[in-house]
Amino acid sequence: MRDYEVVYIFKSSLGTEDIESRVQTYHEKILAGPDAAITAVVHWGKRELAYPIEDEKNGYYVVAQFSAPPEVLTGFERVLKLDDDLLRHLVVISEGELPTPPADIGGGPGRGDDQDDSDDVRPKPRSHDDSGDDNSSNDDAGDDDAGDDDAGDDDAADDAGDDDAGDEDAGDDDAGDDDAGDDDAGDDDAGDDDAADDAGDDNAEQEA
Amino acid sequence: MAYKKVCRFCEVGARRIDYKDGPTLERFLTDRGKILPRRATGTCARHQRQLGTAIKRARHLALVPYIQGYYD
Repeated sequence: MRDYEVVYIFKSSLGTEDIESRVQTYHEKILAGPDAAITAVVHWGKRELAYPIEDEKNGYYVVAQFSAPPEVLTGFERVLKLDDDLLRHLVVISEGELPTPPADIGGGPGRGDDQDDSDDVRPKPRSHDDSGDDNSSNDDAGDDDAGDDDAGDDDAADDAGDDDAGDEDAGDDDAGDDDAGDDDAGDDDAGDDDAADDAGDDNAEQEA
Repeated sequence: MAYKKVCRFCEVGARRIDYKDGPTLERFLTDRGKILPRRATGTCARHQRQLGTAIKRARHLALVPYIQGYYD
């Protein structure tokens, strides 16, 4: 017995009743299993597809959650594949979230819209200006090498990236915790000072 | 003033990354639809792994593009 989540994308030309009945038909395959149950069905409705599928620009999304023994899935998915009006489907093990629709329901991830949005919210590569001088002085105390390489801001950022990679390799512990450790040296100083370079390199070598 | 990158998902205490949340996933894509590296976003290792899976699922479901602008 497992909890699953399935997403259907139908051709948007289908009527709502038609889609309802098809979903019902699919779910009968699931319910054939012992103790199987459909726990949620949510209709997102018609959305714009991020890219055309079978020349369709829009799709009708339905998300459902169910619990069933794994054996029923083969028969279930066979039925899904046979339906030509089902553009896509995805069955995954449910992670416990409710199948809530995204905030932009109906609008879809329109390509035109997205560019505006993503420019605003995408996390930028770290800016090089705002690293505090406090950090650099601290690191200077530790590393006498400050000032050796004047390669500049870009290198500082690069090496900070290396630092992360090193931590990942070493990290048997939770990734979140890594930040508390040596990672800080690299991250804090990502901005401008050469000390960041040295801190990052040292760590990488030790871990290697 | 010191700026420290923190994983966006750790910040909000996310246990799982929802592949159905297209707008959030798009923040972690380039303007061509590639997955941004951790060094650019500050995402922690665990969440970057989950993010990769989520983005790939979302691509399959046409919630985010495989290649942004390919059909424009």
